Amino acid sequence: MIEAHDLTKRYGSNVAVAGLTFSVLPGRVTGFLGPNGAGKSTTMRMILGLDSPTSGDVTVNGARYSSSVRPLHQVGALLDANAVHGGRSAFDHLYCIARSNGIGRGRVREVLNIVGIEKVAHKRVGGFSLGMKQRLGIALALLGDPAILMFDEPINGLDPDGIRWMRHLLASMAQEGRTVLVSSHLMSEMALTADHVIVIGRGRLIADASLAEFVDANSTSDVLVRSPRAADLSRLLTEHGAAVATEPDGALAVSGIDTPAISSLAAAHNIPIYELVVRHASLEEAYMRLADTSTEYHAEDPSEPGKDIQP
Amino acid sequence: MTATTVTLPTRVADLLASEWIKVRSVRSTYLALIVAAAAALAIGVFSGATVNTAHIDFTTFDPVDLSLSGLLVVQLAFGVFGALAISSEHSTGMIRTSFAAVPQRRAVLAAKAAVTGAVGLVAGEVISFAAFFAGQLALSGKHLSVTLADPGVFRAVAGAGFYLFIVTLVGLGLGAIIRHTAGAIAAVGLIFIQPLLVNLVFPDPRTRVGNYVLLWAGQSISSTRAHVTGYSSVGEAVVVCIAYAAVLLAAAGWLITRRDA
Repeated sequence: MIEAHDLTKRYGSNVAVAGLTFSVLPGRVTGFLGPNGAGKSTTMRMILGLDSPTSGDVTVNGARYSSSVRPLHQVGALLDANAVHGGRSAFDHLYCIARSNGIGRGRVREVLNIVGIEKVAHKRVGGFSLGMKQRLGIALALLGDPAILMFDEPINGLDPDGIRWMRHLLASMAQEGRTVLVSSHLMSEMALTADHVIVIGRGRLIADASLAEFVDANSTSDVLVRSPRAADLSRLLTEHGAAVATEPDGALAVSGIDTPAISSLAAAHNIPIYELVVRHASLEEAYMRLADTSTEYHAEDPSEPGKDIQP
Repeated sequence: MTATTVTLPTRVADLLASEWIKVRSVRSTYLALIVAAAAALAIGVFSGATVNTAHIDFTTFDPVDLSLSGLLVVQLAFGVFGALAISSEHSTGMIRTSFAAVPQRRAVLAAKAAVTGAVGLVAGEVISFAAFFAGQLALSGKHLSVTLADPGVFRAVAGAGFYLFIVTLVGLGLGAIIRHTAGAIAAVGLIFIQPLLVNLVFPDPRTRVGNYVLLWAGQSISSTRAHVTGYSSVGEAVVVCIAYAAVLLAAAGWLITRRDA
């Protein structure tokens, strides 16, 4: 279990993490979501005692990480797959870290087998693809068979086969009762992997909920209606308490009323309906809408030229 | 987190073993030491073989110093070896993995100092004695050679190896403070610039500032003659050398827990 309380990190006047309070519980995969620059990596570094918080604190199993002895037996982490000495072999890379926690060669061979890179164990890491380095980093996290696992963007660089393997690994680790925290900036990936999500933007907590709750709370649905008498229908629906917006192509986006009611009302007033479709916003869109207000770096939308230029 | 009970000797052994694996598993270690050995031997033999017996001033001639003259250049390789031991971890980001595995950062630094220092000392002594014997071999044809049994000779040769050990630790300290490979290597190069600067700023030898120049302290330890004036004893020069390594490593140890990894 990981507990952050009012965790804050400032770099000069730039606030990377602002008062984060959350708990990561065992037995499920917790997705740590946020756009690039939201403070996910900074938070993870603070959990591992690599960066010290400006204020607030974070504990792992009730204690500060920096006070632990042989912590690989409790927490395994992959922060940056590229953070390896290119001249060292995969085996030696794992073994030098393993040895510092009293872990022997046998376990190093085991984790190389688990991640499937045992054939290149004695090759220099510099020649590895990003996907192979990700597997090496995951092998390192597994060395101490820890109850808490933490991966920063582990999907990056993996091929489709690797992604499926990763999802399966995360799920099975959680099923074994471990605490699993996985960061990602891709909601679509987390929708397939996570049981619970913690969403942050600009260093602030936006959501901390189960995946189902998050979807219910954030994915709205509406009804798309096409009619040759759109204006009449719009007035009618509004009179019956619906919210109606007109799409650019003249169709109506209706919410607050269900399809049978729309259909009955239209029939009662002899308004023909050409199309009646329930639209569910995807989780991706829900996340985008949330993240939109909290993204640090914005690319201008090319479909709306000059929208940021105010007269 | 629940405290794992591990005895202190076990932890020390774990950290030393971990650092030893790091040192022996990268090519830069072998490259630095092989280059150092080759340069030391080549320069020692060349200096001995090219001595012109007709123009020797026997008031200053030191056959030991001559055979060890390669060490002036070779110390750079030792300094770089020491700096790389930690700066390569910072440059690659590996240091985060190391500190996540062992959150007691000062213990990591101490283990690194013990392992790279031991390698530097053993390699330094081996190279110094090899350069001495090779140099004396080249001088023996001219009947200028000395043996380890002659006064001050053993101390000078062993002192040269000791100085290379000090330079290794100075490199490690600079690497830990600067945390970038290129910057750390440039700082190691200051060992050569320091004597020039001191000569420029304090030309009067009576200021005794020269006594605190690392390179000169090293030279006075590794020669049989006290042609570097100012030191009352070799012991004083040894203290100066140790102070350089100790101060830099202490500064590194002070900074290491105060900076984000």
